[in-house]
Amino acid sequence: MAARLLSRFSARPELRIVVKPELRGVVNFSAAAPATLSDFDVQHKTPVVRKQHLVPKAHYGGRHAVTMLQGGGIGPECMGYVRDIFKYIGAPIDFEIVHIDPNVDNDEDVKYAITTIKRNGVCLKGNIETKSEAAYVTSRNVALRNELDMYAYVMHCKSFPGVDTRHRDIDIHIVRQNTEGEYAMLEHESVHGVIESMKVVTASNSERVARFAFEFAKKHGRKKVTTIHKANIMKLSDGLFLETSKRIAKEYPDIEHNDMIIDNCCMQLVAKPHQFDVMLMTNLYGSIVSNLVCGLMGGAGLHSGRNYGDHYAVFEPGTRNTGTAIAGKNIANPIAMINASVDMLEHLGHHFHADLIRKSVDKTINVDKIMTPDIGGTASSTDVVKAIIDNIDLYMKNKVSFH
Amino acid sequence: MAARIIRKIVPVSRSGAAQYSSGVRKVTLIPGHGIGPEITVAVQKIFEAAKVPIEWDEVDVTAVRGPDGKMGIPQKAIDSVNANKIGLKGPLMTPIGKGYRSLNLALRKEFDLYANVRPCKSMEGIKTLYENVDVVTVRENTEGEYSGIEHEIVDGVVQSIKLITEEASMRVAEFAFVFAKENNRKKVTAVHKANIMRMSDGLFLRCCRDVANKYRDIKFEERYLDTVCLNMVQDPALFDVLVMPNLYGDIMSDLCSGLVGGLGLTPSGNIGKNGALFESVHGTAPDIAGKDLANPTALLLSAIMMLRHLKLHEHADRIQGAVYAVLREGKHLTGDLGGTGKCSEYTNAIISKFN
Amino acid sequence: MSLLNRNVCRALMQGSYLVHAHKGVHTTAVKADKNQSSSTEGRIKCTLIPGDGVGPELVYSVQEVFKAANIPVDFESFFFSEVNPTLSAPLEDVVNSIARNKCCIKGILATPDFSHTGELQTLNMKLRNALDLYANVVHVKSLPNVKCRHHDVDCIIIREQTEGEYSALEHESVPGVVECLKIITAAKSERIAKFAFDYAIKMGRKKVTSVHKANIMKLGDGLFLRSCEEISKLYPRLQFEKMIVDNASMQFVSNPNQFDVVVTPNLYGNIVDNLASGLVGGAGVVAGASYSAECAVFEQGARHIFSGAVGKNIANPTAMLLCSANLLAHINLHPYSKMLKNAINKVLTDGKVRTKDLGGQSTTKDFTNAVIHCLHDH
Repeated sequence: MAARLLSRFSARPELRIVVKPELRGVVNFSAAAPATLSDFDVQHKTPVVRKQHLVPKAHYGGRHAVTMLQGGGIGPECMGYVRDIFKYIGAPIDFEIVHIDPNVDNDEDVKYAITTIKRNGVCLKGNIETKSEAAYVTSRNVALRNELDMYAYVMHCKSFPGVDTRHRDIDIHIVRQNTEGEYAMLEHESVHGVIESMKVVTASNSERVARFAFEFAKKHGRKKVTTIHKANIMKLSDGLFLETSKRIAKEYPDIEHNDMIIDNCCMQLVAKPHQFDVMLMTNLYGSIVSNLVCGLMGGAGLHSGRNYGDHYAVFEPGTRNTGTAIAGKNIANPIAMINASVDMLEHLGHHFHADLIRKSVDKTINVDKIMTPDIGGTASSTDVVKAIIDNIDLYMKNKVSFH
Repeated sequence: MAARIIRKIVPVSRSGAAQYSSGVRKVTLIPGHGIGPEITVAVQKIFEAAKVPIEWDEVDVTAVRGPDGKMGIPQKAIDSVNANKIGLKGPLMTPIGKGYRSLNLALRKEFDLYANVRPCKSMEGIKTLYENVDVVTVRENTEGEYSGIEHEIVDGVVQSIKLITEEASMRVAEFAFVFAKENNRKKVTAVHKANIMRMSDGLFLRCCRDVANKYRDIKFEERYLDTVCLNMVQDPALFDVLVMPNLYGDIMSDLCSGLVGGLGLTPSGNIGKNGALFESVHGTAPDIAGKDLANPTALLLSAIMMLRHLKLHEHADRIQGAVYAVLREGKHLTGDLGGTGKCSEYTNAIISKFN
Repeated sequence: MSLLNRNVCRALMQGSYLVHAHKGVHTTAVKADKNQSSSTEGRIKCTLIPGDGVGPELVYSVQEVFKAANIPVDFESFFFSEVNPTLSAPLEDVVNSIARNKCCIKGILATPDFSHTGELQTLNMKLRNALDLYANVVHVKSLPNVKCRHHDVDCIIIREQTEGEYSALEHESVPGVVECLKIITAAKSERIAKFAFDYAIKMGRKKVTSVHKANIMKLGDGLFLRSCEEISKLYPRLQFEKMIVDNASMQFVSNPNQFDVVVTPNLYGNIVDNLASGLVGGAGVVAGASYSAECAVFEQGARHIFSGAVGKNIANPTAMLLCSANLLAHINLHPYSKMLKNAINKVLTDGKVRTKDLGGQSTTKDFTNAVIHCLHDH
């Protein structure tokens, strides 16, 4: 009877993980229970701040629903390439495409986009333009991050051997506080001609992101975490951030921890980038450092970024530029968006499809050297995508093929 | 236990019926709310014109505060139905809010109305997509899913109990077969879901089988609820009398009404141990109340059912013929049937058919 | 090889269903490559349950069509039946196969009124519970040249099928009084509501109607209704509507075109499914599917075994073929799916080959052959 009752509740996620292993055979046919948990499952089940109410996952028949925000500039074309590739390999993802009109002053579309992310849990996004200059219209990207409380931003900067750059074999993870700091968006003109902009650092958010960074380092077998700050000047705010990360570091004795001042950090990055492993920093510094590192390894078009909150994850190209100038010219580099989509597949646990695309992208750039002009190639965007698809073909020997 | 056996032996008495096969019969009349009063007046007028030996005992059932502090039916109404054992009722509206019991439910409980009968018959002049529908649904009315026993075991888990008893199943099955026999029906179909609810619907089904053995001249068949739904919309002529537990009956009776043109054309009767109550099951339509636009057909057909229950078949046939004739002509139809006629015009048209 | 790897991993992981007690982690110690449609050497494996009644004949028709179209799907067939328990494959084997392949095509399982072993759960229920196939989707759509009273019916009916009246919790408290428990939980109600809305979004639908009986079952159906309302707030661009089940059944027979996506608890879903199927031509032409988070089982929308038609070669394979077309779309074989759907449509539109239920004289085999013939036209 007890087993019978338990089986009734087995659908409730909290209860399901509590079920004792020895009971599990009775409660659930073990084969039917998911053999592994994807990162998405884990995130869904173990938020730091438990939501009052868990919205059921959009995961049906092995397929995930994912919000797609195409963004402005090169966004739509890059998303098109991602969808081509997904369709080709049969990735079990259903995109829910939401359009945001950059010219409208109200936040209707953005609100709707946020709602869709809340129910799907995952989003793939280009950079959204905010054309309106009106002060009350906030940056849509910032609004999205704040509203979804995505406190951590992760960017993996790893050199592509095929791209000709000054430094080789760089492999840095940047973890950035994503919701507060300088981007708190609290500005006002106290007296005429004097504008105050507030920088907000909270202990709770600093702790969350620090813990995230160390857990991240542990999970990925990293050796060192470096906290980047300006605590010599901003003694209270950055001081708090630094103190928190030092405190958390003590809980992870296996991981080395040091700290560095932002200006020194920039110098070190261009001179000796190999000393860095995982870098932890506040919002504005993160923006600077991530762009700097991208520059070191070939520009804006290669790397992808991940925004994590307790419940949601948003994947986007690493440097947040819209690339409006090169839109529609078939020269935009599709790699960043494709990498973002690979990150998303991995997060959802679709490792087979993720690996397939990642391998094909690596081969296209490093071995075949088919690249867009921004990283020293001559190929067009569509050529690159075609080359990637050809490589996917290669890896899926005897694939199911029809076009 | 002994009581149960006795109940089994004593055949279901059609209480109130046939006791006054001659002479004037007193009937409780509950006009109801909204369009209720106007359509009851129409029925009264028609009955008067047809010289039906019935004396109306009109009562008001607007809720009053009872001795227990809850709003309920006035004692006078209850006494009237108890004395007359038969009633005709227009649509009732239960005010929304705490402390109000559904008046329909209260009446049902007061008179232990265990069976709900709804004949659905295609009528000439009423255009629907289904032809030759002639189905009678008999629904168990007191238990099953609507037992009202529900509780929240833990937060977010609600358990409702569907109650099936042998006693109630037996008497509704018995009624269905008696009804079939008296109305010259050929077949009774038990609608169930015993493949899923093996014990509860199984019990209901067993009772139907037991009763069926007593009425060999009426064909008996068993059908799954889903199969009946599927077949009903494809070929309604497959079915004759349907007998089923509460929830299925609720759904099937409305579905069958839909086949013949809606609740405005479907009569309904509730048969109980202590009496029988005939009613129209449509809403109170407060938007057209008092404008002489309402369609009295459902209540009129219910009244005709009542006449048959009282074995006044001659009068029933006469009025029924007149109603069908008016509907067939289609000249005086009310707005809900696509006509422009008023309630009074429609009533007069029916009366004029008597001559 | 990769398949082998995966299964070994899976077997190992089943022992170590780890509980992550850490805070704020996005870590998982368990990592194995999974979640791919089980393609080895380009062919996809799919579990096949022929079922009872005319099931085997219909499944044979599907297999013939797949063979003729050269569709790269391999079937893993299981005889699975409740009416014939001695021959039936064990539940565990079937469940394992579906969990591994993540897709299944299934004929209808007959359920006897009385279990031989006195069990209250039917085999169908056991399979659903074991795989947690909670959502049943039936797409009711008027087909070309199938004569019906209503035209252009196009609605999707989504039904919760793991709780509610089908809980199989029944007992006889005193002789002659049986209690049957109907269980409604917030978690499962929200899950099905979310499924319905997500499905509506995916299919580009406009309206979701929740069918209930909350006026009588205030707690149970009330909870279901509240869950639907709660979830509907996440979908500001979809219209949400409530309808009481008896009214809904009446509306279905008189004006079915008003429905778009319908979401219901278990029993009402069963009723509405069959009702709507009847409107567009019967059980032989309506396809359905059941979903869990991981798996999809494709089966006929209205579950009737047509025991009267067994062996007579007269059953209509349209529903089963549509199911298989949906299966192909689900496993990303869209071109094949389209090809099959076009062929079925063409045969129906031509109207020369009709099975008995659609007023023709053709046999199952004739219809199958006609579809195969049309496949090659494209």
